Amino acid sequence: MGDCWSRVIVEKPFGTDLATAKHLNKVVNNTFAEEDTYRIDHYLGKETAQNIMVLRFANAIFEPLWNNKYIEQVQITCAEHLGMEGGRGGYYDKAGALRDMVQNHLLQLLSLVAMEPPTDLSADGVRDEKVKVLRSLRQLDTPELIKENVVRAQYTAGHVDAKQVVGYREEDRVDPESMTEAYVALRVHIDTWRWSGVPFYVRMGKRLPKKATEISVHFKAPPNVLFNAIPGAAAGGNVLVIRIQPDEGISLRMVSKLPGTTLRMEPVKMDFHYATSFGKGSPEAYERLLLDAMAGDATLFARRDEVEEAWRFIDHIEKAWHESEKAPEMADFVAGSWGPKAADDLLEQDGNSWRRL
Amino acid sequence: MTVPNDCNQLGREVEIGQIEVELKRLWEADEASTNASLINFAVYSEDASALSQNSDTVREITSEHACRAILIGVDCEESEVSMRAWITAHCNLMNGNKSVCSEQIAFHLGGRASGRLSNTVFAHLNSDLPLVFWWQGELSERFNDRLYSLIQRLVIDSSEWQDPVAQFEKIVPAMQEYNLVVQDLSWTRTYHARLAIAALFDDPIALTAIPAIQKVRVVTSPEGRIAGLQLLAWFAAQCDWRKASELIASESVADSFHFEHSHGGSVEASVVTDSDSAAIGLIKIDAGDVQFTISRSKGNQVLHLNMEAQGHVSEQSAPADSEDVVGLVRDQLSRGGKNSLFRKIFPVFIDLINGTT
Repeated sequence: MGDCWSRVIVEKPFGTDLATAKHLNKVVNNTFAEEDTYRIDHYLGKETAQNIMVLRFANAIFEPLWNNKYIEQVQITCAEHLGMEGGRGGYYDKAGALRDMVQNHLLQLLSLVAMEPPTDLSADGVRDEKVKVLRSLRQLDTPELIKENVVRAQYTAGHVDAKQVVGYREEDRVDPESMTEAYVALRVHIDTWRWSGVPFYVRMGKRLPKKATEISVHFKAPPNVLFNAIPGAAAGGNVLVIRIQPDEGISLRMVSKLPGTTLRMEPVKMDFHYATSFGKGSPEAYERLLLDAMAGDATLFARRDEVEEAWRFIDHIEKAWHESEKAPEMADFVAGSWGPKAADDLLEQDGNSWRRL
Repeated sequence: MTVPNDCNQLGREVEIGQIEVELKRLWEADEASTNASLINFAVYSEDASALSQNSDTVREITSEHACRAILIGVDCEESEVSMRAWITAHCNLMNGNKSVCSEQIAFHLGGRASGRLSNTVFAHLNSDLPLVFWWQGELSERFNDRLYSLIQRLVIDSSEWQDPVAQFEKIVPAMQEYNLVVQDLSWTRTYHARLAIAALFDDPIALTAIPAIQKVRVVTSPEGRIAGLQLLAWFAAQCDWRKASELIASESVADSFHFEHSHGGSVEASVVTDSDSAAIGLIKIDAGDVQFTISRSKGNQVLHLNMEAQGHVSEQSAPADSEDVVGLVRDQLSRGGKNSLFRKIFPVFIDLINGTT
């Protein structure tokens, strides 16, 4: 029997809050040991998500800059152009954007971007570092903090892909008086030496203009001397973009001189596309993850403590929204636009703005 | 639904929601081509039949400026709200054998549904690259903050406008609140004239004559009137003149102004239109003992520069400004930067244009 094994793959949702996640973990672990439990997060199976660690730790040029001395802000965006087609309103209206996407996929991406170098590439070596990030998230544990740092919204009727679409509350199987968010934007701080003072902006929304998931790392602008002191110099610092989907790849924006006798500068970008550079598409995330589970490699799966730490962070927000008497408002935005004005204001308070996708 | 004339020239018609997928297929089908893009270049016209012509224009422009081109033709008169899209690529041989291509997406928007422009069309911008937006014709109610907040550089041609005062009023908030870089082709048409004036004042005798300037007269074609006023505004700003008061317009001189030198002397200036004139046909500067003339005959590609001082006559020739709109746009795209000189003279120009009828 030495070569035999039994493993369980658990698909999200891993509970609906910290208590139910703990209960689910307990139930699963009554039958399966933690090392045989594979909590699947298909974002981690995407090539670019896997490549975050390679980019950071196999290249010498990025890691020295990967801290609060050189990075101004990080944005993680998951934009969906779909709404509640195919009857998904029934599930979604009970979950919402925060539980459906942020608790799992986006916090996983955040932990990959923000983690310290692991001691080795073993599953627990990597997951130990990821969970430290989740533990270091500054908890938004009062309604006031949530009001300052989180925006929730629903879409109203508008146009997406040139088609007229209804508002969230008019969607099939959605409660007409629903208080479930179809859009959420958060300002997150990670209280570590590396990230002190660097805001991480996370947003997820349905019925946005296009489908795209990406991480953008915005480096600080160079000092206002030399080229940057010239009137009309190109504004803005370097931006490293890690595209998770579609068109997985990485790009780096930099400033370049325009050819000619006068000194004029414009942003340009170096772009790497997986599909074109390697001549073949990436395997489907689930293919890779199922293969890993069969091979017993849990590196790309969420561990129990990761899930619970993520829920600990999310629970404060959910409670403030649904149980507090001082619940922050539900904003709205026209379907097909890039979200509510309140989300723009969230970044504007820090002198930043959402990156145009 | 109105079909744009010669829509075959626009390439392959595609579903709006499939544009990016179809573009990807387009590139995958041709391994010999390189997809290049340095800017997003949108060309907007409320004459929907202009789409085909603009496709030809973009073909010319992409030979020098690799871009993602987005053509937008709007037919507000259509009763039915509609939207169609076509994709194609403009390819140019580089170094004899390598084909460098710029992709083009053409949109035809029918009806008055607002929101589709910024929602659907701009969902197809190449992220991280600046958006240069060429608005052809009069600025309509669609030119609003929702649109111009997305634009980095706006190309207009004020010579086409019936009511320049009202049109420039729409530009001012965009420049002030959103730091929009405005590139007016009227201003581009003054480039070589400005160089010629600067060249005349390279002479030390000419330089000492600046405080003695008493009169400036600019003759333009009727379409060149705004260019003439911008040229005058530039000259006044560079000489540090202050506008004193408007002179009463005579029948022959519609745009007359009264400036004061910083030392208090007065300058009379006028911009006169003449249907037989080149866009900028004559610039005459009277500084008492020193006289300057820059002239250009209609249809001629050369400027004649003349300076007379104390019996001494100096004559030179210089290239004149192109009157070809495509050439002017190409020039603008080559320059980049923040157009800080135009921004400097803009308040003086607005002051001048508001003082005229």
